[in-house]
Amino acid sequence: MLDTLDAVSIGSGSTAWSVEQVASIAPSAAAMTAARPLATPTRWAGLGADAEAVWGSFQGSGAEPYDTMVDHAHLGVSCTCPSRKQPCKHALALLLLWVRGQVADTVVPSSVEAWMQRRATRRTSTAAVAPVEPASAGATDDAVGTDTGDGTDTGAVPVDGDVIGDEQPAPPTPPPTPDRDAARDDRVARMHAGLAELDRWLDDRIRTGLADPSLARYSTWDQLAARLVDAQAGSLANRVRRLAGLVGASPDWHDDVLAELGMLHLLAEAGRRLGTLPAPLADAVATTVGWQVRQADVLAGVPDTDDWLIAGRSDVREDRIEVRRQWLRGATSGRWALVLSFAAYQQSLDTSLPVGASLRADLHRYPGPALRALVGTRYDEPIEGPGAAQVFIDSACSVADGCTEVGTIIAAEPWLDRVPVTVMARLARSGSTWALADATGSLPILDPGTRAFDASVAMLLAVSEGRPVAITAEWTPHGVVPLSIHLPGRTVDIGPRANTSFVSAA
Amino acid sequence: MSGASDAHADASLSVEGHWQALVTAALLGTDRRDPPEAPGPIADLIADTARSSVSRRMLAQVAAVAAVRRAGVVPGPVLDELAVPDADDRPVCTPAAAERWHHITTSWSVLEDEWTLTLIINGWRIAPELLPALLIRHRSDPVRRARVMVGGGAAAQWLVGHIADLEPRHPSATVSPAALSELPELPIAPELAQMLDWPGAESGAVLAHSIEAGQLGQSHKAMLVNFVARITPTALVDLADVLDSVDPMCPGHGLATVLGDLATTRRRMIDELAR
Repeated sequence: MLDTLDAVSIGSGSTAWSVEQVASIAPSAAAMTAARPLATPTRWAGLGADAEAVWGSFQGSGAEPYDTMVDHAHLGVSCTCPSRKQPCKHALALLLLWVRGQVADTVVPSSVEAWMQRRATRRTSTAAVAPVEPASAGATDDAVGTDTGDGTDTGAVPVDGDVIGDEQPAPPTPPPTPDRDAARDDRVARMHAGLAELDRWLDDRIRTGLADPSLARYSTWDQLAARLVDAQAGSLANRVRRLAGLVGASPDWHDDVLAELGMLHLLAEAGRRLGTLPAPLADAVATTVGWQVRQADVLAGVPDTDDWLIAGRSDVREDRIEVRRQWLRGATSGRWALVLSFAAYQQSLDTSLPVGASLRADLHRYPGPALRALVGTRYDEPIEGPGAAQVFIDSACSVADGCTEVGTIIAAEPWLDRVPVTVMARLARSGSTWALADATGSLPILDPGTRAFDASVAMLLAVSEGRPVAITAEWTPHGVVPLSIHLPGRTVDIGPRANTSFVSAA
Repeated sequence: MSGASDAHADASLSVEGHWQALVTAALLGTDRRDPPEAPGPIADLIADTARSSVSRRMLAQVAAVAAVRRAGVVPGPVLDELAVPDADDRPVCTPAAAERWHHITTSWSVLEDEWTLTLIINGWRIAPELLPALLIRHRSDPVRRARVMVGGGAAAQWLVGHIADLEPRHPSATVSPAALSELPELPIAPELAQMLDWPGAESGAVLAHSIEAGQLGQSHKAMLVNFVARITPTALVDLADVLDSVDPMCPGHGLATVLGDLATTRRRMIDELAR
């Protein structure tokens, strides 16, 4: 019996999963693609489910069927297949069948009962765990990477004075469990080996030079990305794939690629020295490299309760997953937060946080200085009205001050790809490049590419008519991406939107 | 202050100059070219790599300088302001009307011409946030394009002047005033055409009876849609009511529901654009 998927939890006691939730725990989009053909009742025997688990035997290509069990209440997976991916395609297929209502409730077989019993015992004995730990194979964010613009807010003071990080009393160390420790050690070793290999690869690139024709071959990058996935560093793998797209993409591509190689080196070095880093920085590095935090642990953290103003949204396709970033700002605290949602082909993105609305809710932040958070208790429905827009208008800063805000955040985590900022600026042009500008300077807008119509710039131009307006934008190393325009009385969402031919609702 | 600014500028130039030297070395690779010596502060940062290989030292330099450059994000040059478009005294159409445009272009595109014409006739201006989508949508259709330019006013002209993607595909096409101000003819069967001016209760009763009797079905949908899109606006409320009362068990109930939705959508569209 293989190990359990203990780094992810989608709400305890869940009895009504959606297909999206199943996809969210898949180690990759490919795993979901592989699972779908297997989600056919005729290929399974002994299917059954109860309030906590779902199980069945899948007849694969081998002589013996694979026995698969999923604890859907406290997410855990067991499958006798040889796959190292967790959850494997059989577990995903089983969940898909269950979600579709194709698995009837039955009496629990003894093997499943015993497995659930062991899990319950383990949960009791490991009730308190450290906030960050290496991911089990194929945890949620490996599919899309946690390196998705997650920012920091080191300059901000938490609302209630509590600090998530090294100033917080350390949680009690869980009692050692041989299996758990062995699995953890194995994951750590694999990740360290992966980071060492990444650094050797970077070293080779620096020796042979960026003019080396092999850089133009996708396989050069793809093979490295695949090895990083194996090494549990899915976020870095995504980063490598994105880096491959920079080669030859602009006249200055050598500049961009070299900078990103530098960031990868920084992360590879830091990832191997986590124990020597201050706790918040270690958490940030661990998350960026691909180590996982259990959602349950995040949700168990101190909530950041506020009226959260939904400042902007941007959708970006990463491999075969659409990633939606929703930037929130506390009306009282002024702190930024980032809520992510993911959708594979024909799935739906989260539409519960409309841009320009205000939502009274608990936000639970990931460990470290990260901006990324999960929405916990919602005390009301999102309220759309003029209030949120006015807050952004009143708090918008100059371009120069915006650069300072961004720089402060980047100084703490130089590898961040996206940082939110709200500036009072007008649209201006420098040659063929559009920019947000005021009397203190300008911020160039990210060029969407020669073939793409920049709907954001067109909207910004149309709505502002060249006059200064409050704009929430994402800073990226290659330019800013305008996300929303805050006008008296309303906010206009102009962020890049997912193609509806890919996701079913955007 | 001036001294501090100069020092800051010098430091920026120094980092940029060093970065360019690193890019040049990285292009050829350290096998063929030695990396530049790290300047003081950077050298301190990477001191622990002093005894590493040349490529390792270079990599450490690249990481350190890239981090410094990212964190030291500074504004670009001050840019000239754009000239703003000429003033347009017309009020901008209401948010409900703008939202309705999105709705009809998704679900009932047969109403789009009437939306634009009604907006213009009633003295509204197209909401600015709709302009890019309208201009893109009607790049190739001279008549609709001309209506968008009228409805958008000076702002539309100004926007097209700034974004080449919004320019018309056929800039030399001419549009007659008649074509600009009239709704296009839609094919409607004579039996239906004679009912265009009837009260909604009467035309609705005929349609409902024909649908329940199976005389009108999905194969007639296109014609019926055209009919509802052109009947007199005063008939729309009663027509929708009668279509809503079609026997839910009859095979044509779905068609009646769709036509009722069109009638309701059109009525709301006209109400939202009234002045």
